[in-house]
Amino acid sequence: MLVIRNLHARVDDKPILKGINLEIQAGEVHAIMGPNGSGKSTLSSVLAGRDEYEVTDGEVIYQGQNLLELEPEERAWAGIFLSFQYPVEIPGVKNIYLLKAAVNAVREHRGQPELKAGEFLKLVREKLKIMQMDEAFLHRNVNEGFSGGEKKRNEILQMQLLEPTLALLDETDSGLDVDALKIVGEGINRMRDPSRSVLLVTHYQRLLDIVKPDYVHVLADGEIKLSGDFTLAERLEREGYEGIEAA
Amino acid sequence: MSGFDTLLAQSTAPRAEQARALGLPTPRVERWKYVPTRTLARTAWVAPTQRDTDTFALSGGQFLNIPTVDGLTEVQSGLTESERLRLDAMATAHGFSLTQDALNGHQLILEVGASASVTLTLEHLANLSLEAGFATLVIRVGSNASLSLIETFEAEAASETNLDSLRMLVSVARDGRVNHLKFQAANAGQLIFHAVDVDLSENAQYTLDTIDFGSKMARSDILITLSGRHANTDVRGLALCNGSQYHDTHLAIDHAVGETTSAMMFRNMVDDKGEATFNGRVLIRKDAQKSATEQSVANLLLSERARVNPKPELEIYADDVTASHGCTVGSLNKAELFYLKSRGIAEADARAFLQYAFAEEVVERVAHPQIREQIETRLLGELTHGELIAELKDALDV
Ligand SMILES: Nc1ncnc2c1ncn2[C@@H]1O[C@H](COP(=O)(O)OP(=O)(O)OP(=O)(O)O)[C@@H](O)[C@H]1O
Ligand SMILES: [Mg+2]
Repeated sequence: MLVIRNLHARVDDKPILKGINLEIQAGEVHAIMGPNGSGKSTLSSVLAGRDEYEVTDGEVIYQGQNLLELEPEERAWAGIFLSFQYPVEIPGVKNIYLLKAAVNAVREHRGQPELKAGEFLKLVREKLKIMQMDEAFLHRNVNEGFSGGEKKRNEILQMQLLEPTLALLDETDSGLDVDALKIVGEGINRMRDPSRSVLLVTHYQRLLDIVKPDYVHVLADGEIKLSGDFTLAERLEREGYEGIEAA
Repeated sequence: MSGFDTLLAQSTAPRAEQARALGLPTPRVERWKYVPTRTLARTAWVAPTQRDTDTFALSGGQFLNIPTVDGLTEVQSGLTESERLRLDAMATAHGFSLTQDALNGHQLILEVGASASVTLTLEHLANLSLEAGFATLVIRVGSNASLSLIETFEAEAASETNLDSLRMLVSVARDGRVNHLKFQAANAGQLIFHAVDVDLSENAQYTLDTIDFGSKMARSDILITLSGRHANTDVRGLALCNGSQYHDTHLAIDHAVGETTSAMMFRNMVDDKGEATFNGRVLIRKDAQKSATEQSVANLLLSERARVNPKPELEIYADDVTASHGCTVGSLNKAELFYLKSRGIAEADARAFLQYAFAEEVVERVAHPQIREQIETRLLGELTHGELIAELKDALDV
């Protein structure tokens, strides 16, 4: 599904990713943990196509194609979805406009028929229910004035609607209360499927208890320093990164 | 030398000679620094004629079909002394304002009676080719009266060079209210010069929504004087400049007494070789204690050659006031664009979304539902890729 080889990226001449190697097969869930500022969000942003970051070396192959050549919208059409660590507020654009436009843009490129207003509303109401979100969120501006947790739910709502093949979830669990964590975790689990993969960035084991990852990686100083199975997350929780790095 | 010389020579108005002698203002006149005067100067303007219509309209410098509604009367006894002084002040010492004065066609004085509630819709008809129409409208709003004043522009007229000039004096008595909405979607050949002078007594209110989409060039000079305690005003404007359009608003708010409040919000969106000038000046005089003002000006540049000339000015001589202001100039927000694109929205559609959002800040506040709809439809038509949003609105808005 996704192969990352020796990926280097920088922002304003400052190297941030310093040779990432990672392979994700269809159906797998990979968790990335690591200290603040180590490059986790940079990695997800580079995969989603944010152009502030300059890739200086390495390659990323997604479903057999060179991902780095694609525009962000082309990546979305190809099935990539980024749940932002800090979802962007867009005053003046109604959430429901964005959702319908996004769903139909992605459907069009997947050769599926356009959803008419009625069909779309039915679908979005179904997803709202899963996310336990009030319908009022549809008519507010995108993320504007949403609380931290509401923004994260809105991200997962979008993921449910767009049905990505590869979901990049950047700290989707941060800022969620216990109940919301469960809703979001289960929202992610519902999407698990042998044809879908998830790359999940988190600082806490709480989410990993709900969404059991197949692999856990530690990203520090722009490199993946250590990989393991679910038990690595437990070790990190106990010992912290210093203990791991010393080992 | 100006394109009005022939008309001025034929005029017997007291200021005609002076106007001709002074000619058009040069860029050295600060308030005219950016105004492209070429068409004004080079067109051989001719006296206007009137067109036929059956609603209240301004055509060729004449008001047609003056409405007869309850609470509204046409005053025949002429200007008051203070109105005359304010009109004189409008005709400041440069050739164009003197020309407006000298070539004035119709001067209409309307009065809204105390406690009356009146809606006036004035349509600006396009003048014929090379015609320049000048008019003056004086409105007195009685105590506790309310006036909704709506100005629209004939949309589907031919786009030959013509000029529409209107000077407006509005005086609002104690507790009176005026809601003024101007939707300017004039044809591409029109030059528009509007001046509004509003005076507010105690607890009087004036709101203005001014939307400038059309015309070749449009200049508005707005002066609002808060001369009674608790008087308040709220001005919101949106100007869209495409092609080589020029839009220019000079807005001044004078807090003459204390406990008065004002707010101005102005948005300019400029594409192609368009140019927008906004000068927003708020004056809080020494005795205007406990006054408050808010100013928010944003300029969105969509092309390399687009230009804006924003100048917010805040002059405060009182010490106990609340004032906030912000002025930005920029292009579309990259983080917002990336967010939309990451959801599969194509670049062109994402740009249209953000332009629409920028304009909506002003448009969504237009209180008149039908006109707001017209503004939105026109707005979406003006955007390079407004179709997707138009479709979404159709499908999802109830
Ligand atoms: N646009 C930018 N300009 C300057 N520095 C940047 C930019 N984006 C990222 N960085 C820097 O790159 C480094 C990695 O940032 P990144 O956001 O990828 O970290 P992270 O691992 O996601 O951290 P956290 O756990 O706090 O979210 C940080 O030192 C950050 O300050
Ligand atoms: Mg991060």
